[in-house]
Amino acid sequence: MDLRFFEIYRRSDYLLLLLEGAALSAALTITAALTGMALALALSGARYARLSVLRHVAAAYVEFIRNTPLIVQLFFVAFGLPTLLGYQWPFWAHALLALTLNFSAYFSEILRSGYATVGTGQTEAAAALGLKPRQTFFKIVLPQAVAKTYPSLVSQFIFLFLTTGVIAEIGVNDLTQAGKFIDSRTFRSFEVFFTLTLIYILMSLSFKGGLAVLQRRLFRWQVAR
Amino acid sequence: MKDLLTGLLGAPEGVVLYQLLFATQFTIYLSAIAFAGGGTVGALVTLLRIAPARSARSLATAYIWFFQSAPLLMLLFLFGLGVPRLLGVNVNVWLAASAALTLYTSAYLAEVWRSAVQSIPTGQWEGAEALGLRFWQTLRLVVLPQAVRVSLAPTVGFLVQIIKGTSLAYIIGFSDLMSVGKRWANAPVEGTEPFIIYPLMALIYFALCFPLSRLSLGLEKRLGTVRKTPPIAA
Amino acid sequence: MIDIQNVRKSFGDLEVLKGIDLTVERGEVVTVIGGSGSGKSTLLTCINGLEPINGGKITIDGTEVHARSTDLNKLRTKVGIVFQQFNAFPHLTVMENVTLAPRKVLGMGRAEAEAIAEKQLRHVGLADKLSTYPSRLSGGQQQRMAIARALAMSPGYMLFDEVTSALDPQLVGEVLETLKMLAEEGMTMILVTHEMSFARDVSDRVAFFHKGVMAEIGAPDQLFGAPRHPETQAFLSKVR
Repeated sequence: MDLRFFEIYRRSDYLLLLLEGAALSAALTITAALTGMALALALSGARYARLSVLRHVAAAYVEFIRNTPLIVQLFFVAFGLPTLLGYQWPFWAHALLALTLNFSAYFSEILRSGYATVGTGQTEAAAALGLKPRQTFFKIVLPQAVAKTYPSLVSQFIFLFLTTGVIAEIGVNDLTQAGKFIDSRTFRSFEVFFTLTLIYILMSLSFKGGLAVLQRRLFRWQVAR
Repeated sequence: MKDLLTGLLGAPEGVVLYQLLFATQFTIYLSAIAFAGGGTVGALVTLLRIAPARSARSLATAYIWFFQSAPLLMLLFLFGLGVPRLLGVNVNVWLAASAALTLYTSAYLAEVWRSAVQSIPTGQWEGAEALGLRFWQTLRLVVLPQAVRVSLAPTVGFLVQIIKGTSLAYIIGFSDLMSVGKRWANAPVEGTEPFIIYPLMALIYFALCFPLSRLSLGLEKRLGTVRKTPPIAA
Repeated sequence: MIDIQNVRKSFGDLEVLKGIDLTVERGEVVTVIGGSGSGKSTLLTCINGLEPINGGKITIDGTEVHARSTDLNKLRTKVGIVFQQFNAFPHLTVMENVTLAPRKVLGMGRAEAEAIAEKQLRHVGLADKLSTYPSRLSGGQQQRMAIARALAMSPGYMLFDEVTSALDPQLVGEVLETLKMLAEEGMTMILVTHEMSFARDVSDRVAFFHKGVMAEIGAPDQLFGAPRHPETQAFLSKVR
């Protein structure tokens, strides 16, 4: 047993590859989190729709996503849909769509739990001032729900980030793909994937740090308490 | 079973469905191993985590932190490729997949169980201590019976996570529902296009996971849950 | 004019308002007193349409509150309400709390809304708290902010639902002072309160509610000095 990390670390082309992979992983995760959040907003809203079909469809969608593996969803989005509908996108676009669909289900459940924490006093006061339900939702309920569930949203985001390595399976040049490439050249699998693990952890910590800063920025009223 | 399905659906649909269902058993076995292994290791780590000795607690904290922060996919690569190449030995793919999933599971369960134990008010410990019970007696007779109740829902909930997690084991060569399905989806056979196979596989996974999700939810409503459960995903 | 005719209201099997008749003229201050469960708070939430009613009708300046054709959001801009729980919006500054409805409901520009908000906040003594978040305010300050928030809509009528009940005793005074000031300025108000001496001080008329019925209404001196209804006598002897 000999550990030879230097075989990776002394090669600037490998390091660059890892850096590029990490950047793509981060970019895709962050973008998917934003689009997923937008979809989650619609999904969580649909759960309160007057039309019962809409409520059921949203609930079924969320349950289905949460109870099936990401990789199956990913392969369906990357290989199933394009053959069925006859389109071809770049790999990263398939990955982005799959991650968006996946993230949205988890986020929408968290949002929903957040809405429940905003008291009826708040909505009643808003109604008494003449605000319409839509305005009440966006101006009063949503900001408070996001603030209350922010820690859950952050840990869910980190958790989802750790699963994004599967997009390498459809050919996206993410961090995992970079690792697989270096592994195929060096056969130093343990060193490569241990390094990758550390990079993933480091990135998680950076996300956590960044999102904590954002929290203090966004929810000054809460920290002031 | 194979003949029945082929008779009902014809070839290749019947054959494919049979093979998928047949392969599902390996998904179930691997999940069971991961749960049993992860539960055992997780219980030990939980004990270390709440033990009076400080060094034991730090060790357990580090263990939980690392294996909760490490992506499951990386653990699979490490045990499926890394360790064999490092040691220059062949590692059975069952062993590698089980080891990765066990460590992954143990960290999560240890975290859930620790929060469950620590959610029991300190008054319970003090009360037992006042009666002259030792640490381990208090734990076994007073704290654990209460902690088990609240940790049941998240523990069952994590089973879903394990089952979904096993779908990654094909990457290191494990043969299960995922790998068989993927092979068929890639095969140029009419009736096994990706848009048929993957939804079918999703349905099988859903059939395994959804009842457990519901059970977890039901347990949560009846017995309560640990206040801060770590997230579950993918 | 607020005209309440034979209003009935039930929550399930429980009838909380059993045919209430009350007319409040412009400029009048009417105080409603009574034990808990007497229906007095429910009446207020019915008046501005937050609660539907089961019978009778309420008209405000000729508009029937519970008619299908009535635009409740528009009506509510004419009738301000302040609750026992201040219901400050915690994620908005004092200024934003007060300007929200003028901007979103009345469609005012930012500058105009802020000018009005500042005037109202100065009025209730919060001119120095404009950019503060509610969590930094005392209960009394939050309640005064809620009053300014309602006043910023320039309502013709104000409803106050036990606005001092959730306050620490030492903070009650500042809110009552604010209410008294409004009364003296001629604001039409209906107040539900437990502060008897305050009610006697500011009201034109005082109504006593008992078990969903308005048992007695009259001038404060008459109602407090020589109550006619035995339940009023019993209630007043208990609270004194």
